[in-house]
Amino acid sequence: MKNLLKAQDLRAYYRLVDGTEIKAVDGVTLELRPNEVLGIAGESGCGKSTLAAVMSLTHNPPLRVVDGHVAANGSNLLTMPPEQVRREIKGRHISVVPQGAMNALNPTQRVRNFAIDMLQEHFPEMTKAQAIDLARARIEELSLPVRVLDSYPHELSGGMKQRTIIVLSTLLDPKVLIADEPTSALDVTSQKIVIKLLLALLGEGIITSIAFITHELPLLRQVADRIAIMYAGKLVEVGSMDEIIFSPEHPYTRALMGSMLVPEKHIREQRIEAIPGVPPDLKDLPIGCRFHPRCQKRLPVCSQEEPPAKIVGDRTTWCWLMQ
Amino acid sequence: MLKSKFTRYVFQKLGWYLLAFLIAVSLNFILPRLIPGNPVNVMINQLAVGGVQSDALARIYENYMREFGLDQPMHIQFISYFRNLFRGDLGTSFMLYPGKVSDLIKEALPWTIALQIPTILVGWILGNILGAVCAYKGGRFDAVVFTSALAVSNVPYYCLAIILLYGLAVHNPIFPVGGGYSFGNFPDLSFSFFLDALHHYTLPFLSMIVVAIGGQAIGMREMALYELTTDYVHYSKAMGLRDKKVVGYVFRNAMLPQITGLAISFGTMMGGALVTESVFSYPGIGSLLFTAIRQTDYPLIQGCTLIITIAVLLANFLVDIAYGFIDPRIRAAQLGER
Repeated sequence: MKNLLKAQDLRAYYRLVDGTEIKAVDGVTLELRPNEVLGIAGESGCGKSTLAAVMSLTHNPPLRVVDGHVAANGSNLLTMPPEQVRREIKGRHISVVPQGAMNALNPTQRVRNFAIDMLQEHFPEMTKAQAIDLARARIEELSLPVRVLDSYPHELSGGMKQRTIIVLSTLLDPKVLIADEPTSALDVTSQKIVIKLLLALLGEGIITSIAFITHELPLLRQVADRIAIMYAGKLVEVGSMDEIIFSPEHPYTRALMGSMLVPEKHIREQRIEAIPGVPPDLKDLPIGCRFHPRCQKRLPVCSQEEPPAKIVGDRTTWCWLMQ
Repeated sequence: MLKSKFTRYVFQKLGWYLLAFLIAVSLNFILPRLIPGNPVNVMINQLAVGGVQSDALARIYENYMREFGLDQPMHIQFISYFRNLFRGDLGTSFMLYPGKVSDLIKEALPWTIALQIPTILVGWILGNILGAVCAYKGGRFDAVVFTSALAVSNVPYYCLAIILLYGLAVHNPIFPVGGGYSFGNFPDLSFSFFLDALHHYTLPFLSMIVVAIGGQAIGMREMALYELTTDYVHYSKAMGLRDKKVVGYVFRNAMLPQITGLAISFGTMMGGALVTESVFSYPGIGSLLFTAIRQTDYPLIQGCTLIITIAVLLANFLVDIAYGFIDPRIRAAQLGER
């Protein structure tokens, strides 16, 4: 079983001081395929960032993995010794573009010195000059200005900082890049440049796959090959970009698409609908399908049992209506 | 280009510090004179107890008033104070007449410096290490050390001084009750004098260092805890940097405010140990100032507060300059790039 990165029946809960558990990721199975951008979308608090944290092995208490595993190249990364994960996986197999990327660089360190620290951490025999040459070559290849290497983070604009982080994140040629809301703090122009950079990394074969976590569906329309929709800690629908955007099947996905401004012809004429209600409290989840209290088309079974997966072609849906 | 900007920044700062100095020095003149009571009256009363005749007292009074310049109007006194100050003349002490204020300060200064600099440095270094380890380790170690530090740093240092004095000098006479050296001994460079001074040094040093360590540890712990949750820490770890390296980043950044703290401690060290020195009758600036205030000895008060003023301003000035070298963000602000 040679896989790039796969979450299998993953359950990751935040345990609060009073003992209650927030089930942010509750039984998710999701695989990243070679040469794809996998979009992971959902409302705030649906668990997408938690899923990203566990899949990039950057989760910290109070978040704990309760069950399931994260596999890469046939081994479970969650049971691998942390020191081995740090040396062999982090930055080298799986890399991240963090959510708060604006402050992801040490404010009192030049970009160049972080690049040196990171390269020497993974290649102890590398000299400083070699590390700088490598970083410079990569920066030129991706047509960023070389001056960023000699800059302090506060000297870079928001968009440039984000692009710098993406270059640093992919300096070790990782297979998988997990980007958590990489563009949400940027203006549209910078967003576009960042997306172009991500796609260029994929196109040049520097990285093999991207997991792109966002709440902005129109963005996924531009970048994603496949999209996974999350709701209250679970996946509701996974399929190709076309299937999810243009012919969603799960009522939640449909409602999500219906509430979105998309300049596509046949959607353009429809009314924008808000989804009634609010997402459930992750401490106190409804029995059965988690979406049923807000679902317009619920069946009696929806409030009793969780819907099983229904696989049709490349699309998987978790909904009683599809059974 | 860069150099000239920096020079301009330094000169601009110097201008402000000069203004602050002039204001402080004026206050040094005014404030002692607001203490009720005429210093010459105090001296005359002491003579009267000795049985000197009253007409003689009146003559002595006038003589002293003329000698100290207290018969002049306030603004004339103020002008001559400034003139003398810029000539480097701090005047003559009233209570130790005709002792020169500058000589008295010269005698007291080494004692205060010897007491304070090691306390501040050792307290700062140990406190920061302790605070950093607390933040990094967390758990039970943190709970025990942090609570103790909190308790200790909130004990007024003079209370601790009195407790130590009672426990280790009066109840169990291990250390002397006070003074900088034994009675009958005389300050010289001999080894026996050094040992004697060290023996007297222990209690005042202990009473201050414990409080200093506690205070610094709390500050450092808070800063380090904050830095440990920042995005750059998470990112560096996600990129596979080992903990040691990340902790290095964190502590460098957490140190920045601590460096200000260190400089301010140095600035306030001259006046800071006033009560400690009094409790242990330590022959430093603190004791000198304390006695001077009690005797309303204007020139001596002015001399002591002048030393304190200079120390505070100098320390702050150095911090202003040094900070730019440590933090690139502040350097940019100094050079007007932001």
